[in-house]
Amino acid sequence: MKSDDILTVAGLNVSYGESKVLFNINLNASSGQIVACVGRNGAGKTTLLKTIMGFLKPTAGTVTSNGTSLIGRAAYVVAAMGVKYIPQDKKVFSDLTVRENLELGSYATRDYDWDKVTTYFPKLKQLMDRKAGYLSGGERQMLMIGRAILGNPKLLLVDEPTEGLAPSIVAQLKDVFRELSSKSTLVIVEQNLPLVCAIADKVYALNEGHVMAELADREQIKPETCEQYL
Amino acid sequence: MSVLKWWSGLLVAFLLLALLRVFLPLPFANEIMIFSVYAIGCNFLLGRVGFISFGQPAYLAVGAYGTAFYLFYFGTNPYIGILIGIISGFVVSLAVGPLFVRLRSDYFALVNLALAVIIFFLMQKVLAGITHGDDGLWFLTRMDSTPVLDLTQPDQFFIFAFLIAFAVWAFYKYIDDSIYGACCLGTKINEDKLKFLGYNTYNIRLLAFVIANTTTALAGSMYAIYLGFVSPEITSPARVADPIVVTILGGVGTLYGPIVGAIAYTGMKDLLSQVFGNWELIVGFLLVFIMLAGEKGIWGTLAPVLERTFTRLTAPRSAPAPRTEPGVKGT
Repeated sequence: MKSDDILTVAGLNVSYGESKVLFNINLNASSGQIVACVGRNGAGKTTLLKTIMGFLKPTAGTVTSNGTSLIGRAAYVVAAMGVKYIPQDKKVFSDLTVRENLELGSYATRDYDWDKVTTYFPKLKQLMDRKAGYLSGGERQMLMIGRAILGNPKLLLVDEPTEGLAPSIVAQLKDVFRELSSKSTLVIVEQNLPLVCAIADKVYALNEGHVMAELADREQIKPETCEQYL
Repeated sequence: MSVLKWWSGLLVAFLLLALLRVFLPLPFANEIMIFSVYAIGCNFLLGRVGFISFGQPAYLAVGAYGTAFYLFYFGTNPYIGILIGIISGFVVSLAVGPLFVRLRSDYFALVNLALAVIIFFLMQKVLAGITHGDDGLWFLTRMDSTPVLDLTQPDQFFIFAFLIAFAVWAFYKYIDDSIYGACCLGTKINEDKLKFLGYNTYNIRLLAFVIANTTTALAGSMYAIYLGFVSPEITSPARVADPIVVTILGGVGTLYGPIVGAIAYTGMKDLLSQVFGNWELIVGFLLVFIMLAGEKGIWGTLAPVLERTFTRLTAPRSAPAPRTEPGVKGT
């Protein structure tokens, strides 16, 4: 384990009851890297992120962040340690306004610097008083990312961020992820291979709970290379 | 959260209640005040945190009996009696809360119902030696007259109950506007999301449980002082749905809902029952209608209409368009 490893997953095995989902997963992400996990539906990508976040207990293996084990810690403790999870479902607190959603993020982290949020997503500025339930899918994703980056997390776990979004929003998110990587390490689960190849420093290809390949060389990270593992 | 609209509507609602006092019989007005406090706690649990509890009479009884024990056995000051009732509610909800709030919605409802049944039988049978069982504890004549507001006088009790209801309402309005209120709503909408943000949702739920049930105990204390009598009937299994019915009637999750619901429910119970024996039947039909009409309750349905009317009335009138004479161009 290198000292600059923000996340190290070693020998991780996870089961849902009798059904084993992840088999001996090894993964690491260094400071400032964008690490992508690609794979078909059911490959275990979301399970991996949920286990890192503390929502699932592994049957074996370790998950550490800067040398500190995350296993056995509640999700809110992991979040307080600077690991933020942006789930796939794009569900925000629909009865609260955008402003109130951001305030929830701010209060938890004591970070009220919303300029960085509105710099990445200027559109949120106009939507502050709108109920989050009335936002479009893209706007919700902006809000979820904006809320998660409050407190300057050291590690962002992002689950299928571009699923169902318009190409223009995907392009915007691509730029945002690139910029965010200068401050945080990102682990992104994504099926959009052009996006992955444009931003990822390292790619893990998962299939049926196994890591089939680790592409750590930028030259290797191409859609056609990734596709053969899917 | 914004607290700019802190006073919006607050005075209006309570001035209306004060006006009602002029037109309604005193016992009816007093009961509305107490029921409002009772329902506000239930409304917070149900509308803000997503907990449906069939055990609210348990906490009502804890407050009432806390007050009654003090006034029957130890002292004569009703204010101290109320304070003891509140403390009793706080202690009991803090004792059972850590266990109960771990349960999810349906089991939470049932475990609270079980507590109400336990307290009912404790007061009726097990502790009959000190509670006097079904005969109850009578202490109306034991209470001292108090300075400023004499709680032994129904008309002065109304002012006290009015001020308490006002303060409780304002307190919950403050909570609703606070970040804690948003957290409570967050646990109701999507608890996992709050955890992702770093919130300990268990603590949020526990605090909400203690606040709501201490409020319920306060209502119980007020009942005890007002009636000067407490019996196990207060936590009877037949009455467990009362606060939920009032909350749903008024409008779940709305700030004025508990007050409107208390007026509607008490109105039907006290006034309608004089002309129509089976008033519960009307409540039943009304509840079915409310559910089918979108679960908004009376206030939830009225509020948007009133808001639109108020906006229309207060909107500045646009200046009339300048008249132009035929054939003359405006400059």
